[in-house]
Amino acid sequence: MSLDRSFFVPLESPLHRLNPLTKLTFAFAMIIPAFLSVPRLAPALVIPIFIAVFAGKVQKQYLNLSLKLILPAILFMFVMQSVFLPIGETVIFQLGRFDVTQEAMQTAFLTISRIFVMVSSFAILLLTTHPGELMSDLTRRGLPPQFAYVINSTLQILPQMQAKAQTILSAQRSRGLDTESTFLKRVGAVVPLVGPLVFGSLVEVEERAIAIEARGFTSTRPKTFLRDVPDTRTDKIIRWLLLVFVILSLGGRIWLS
Amino acid sequence: MAIVTLENVTYKYPLTETPALQNINLQVEEGEFVAVIGPNGAGKSTLCYTLAGFVPHFFKGELTGRVEVAGMESSESALHEWVLNVGLAFQNPFNQISGAKYTVFEEIAFGLENIGVPREEMKVRVEEAMKLTGISDLADRSPYSLSGGQQQRVALTSILVMQPKVLVLDEPTSQLDPIGTREVFGVIRTMTERGMTVVMAEHKVEWIANFADRVIALYEGQILLDGTPRKVLTSDLLKEKGFGISRYTSVARKAKTLGLWTREQLPITLEEAAEGFALTPHPSPEGRGES
Repeated sequence: MSLDRSFFVPLESPLHRLNPLTKLTFAFAMIIPAFLSVPRLAPALVIPIFIAVFAGKVQKQYLNLSLKLILPAILFMFVMQSVFLPIGETVIFQLGRFDVTQEAMQTAFLTISRIFVMVSSFAILLLTTHPGELMSDLTRRGLPPQFAYVINSTLQILPQMQAKAQTILSAQRSRGLDTESTFLKRVGAVVPLVGPLVFGSLVEVEERAIAIEARGFTSTRPKTFLRDVPDTRTDKIIRWLLLVFVILSLGGRIWLS
Repeated sequence: MAIVTLENVTYKYPLTETPALQNINLQVEEGEFVAVIGPNGAGKSTLCYTLAGFVPHFFKGELTGRVEVAGMESSESALHEWVLNVGLAFQNPFNQISGAKYTVFEEIAFGLENIGVPREEMKVRVEEAMKLTGISDLADRSPYSLSGGQQQRVALTSILVMQPKVLVLDEPTSQLDPIGTREVFGVIRTMTERGMTVVMAEHKVEWIANFADRVIALYEGQILLDGTPRKVLTSDLLKEKGFGISRYTSVARKAKTLGLWTREQLPITLEEAAEGFALTPHPSPEGRGES
């Protein structure tokens, strides 16, 4: 239940075994060329992304995520850009007053490819990497521990905040707060919820600060890590290859244009 | 040897006029279990925070007098060094969970990661600490899926694993049910038996009577009484000032006015009360059942 808010799928796969930094590098090695290299490359990056999805054995979860999150967003984007972008001469068809041109559709296709690559590559990272492992590895490499703490604790504390909001809401309703009639009244019902939730959380923040301070969070000694996150030679080779790929793709942009 | 020494300590929180602690003089011996009682606002929490270094380092404000704990002077040591020697646990178990860890085992290791204990030693220490507090079976659970009593024991274990010399507890059972309270007191008893110095603010006088070596009564930021549980908990001053009083003491005090308690000394535990009332001559058969 602790992992409810993260996308992580605990499995054994070659991708799961990779170091988090390698997977993060993969994400950026997809995103940077998608946005900065020649436009033709962006749709082609779907291929390495699908390979990675299968290597991580997370096809089912990835498909689920795509249908719920990525597909609606890119469909919307595609329609909007195709119809409203005022560029191009080659009119394919007309939608009311708007001309849908071939050029506009091409631009729209490029945009959605880029978004697809960006969201997917991060989805792969999150689906195959335990958030604790990701943060502990990045902290070991010099990410400020405060930053890692914020990410980790947000994942855990959000569900607790939701539960608390529900409790406050129930308490207010038992005192006659109207949360079920007209829209305006329901919006008004949010006000007595926000006060206790926000101020209550501020008090909690102080206590939590004391609690983690009592456990040496600000200690100046070099930190150690319970999780042993292996960083193998394979990881290093993959990262170098990805870097080469990024450089080549950017170089391609300069040479080919 | 005194491990805690407070000399003429007066402390004001920022933006306040009245001091939260006034002229506190206190010495705690190594291995002693001292309970601190007092009404709300008496300064119990402030005293705990002072011993744990959070007053004045975390809360700022104005501290005068000398605070020395485990050989460190408050005025000279930074908080992150102070916490290596003094462990602090407080009321709300939920807020003591770091929130950055996914299992109880990782949660307990959090402090050791922060102070740079090597991984192998870390694992050994976490396992030992969990065994000591009886929560080994919770190792792989999420800290948020636990009951209040279990969470509080996790919080205590997270502090104990850092091997502090002094353990400061600020009403650790006030938000727990009777079972949780028993579990937490069980842990504290284990620690005192192992020679840990414990200072504990607590309302539950029945428990204090059974466990503490010494009781300090705080009132309006000052030490009102300081002595053995028997001496402090039966003092008439406590009743006057509105302290929480053991039900055994209250009953015997009432019985004394009616001539039904014959001993001079008032009881603080169930056993003493039962013994004392057994000495009372029973005037009629009806009176027997109630004693």
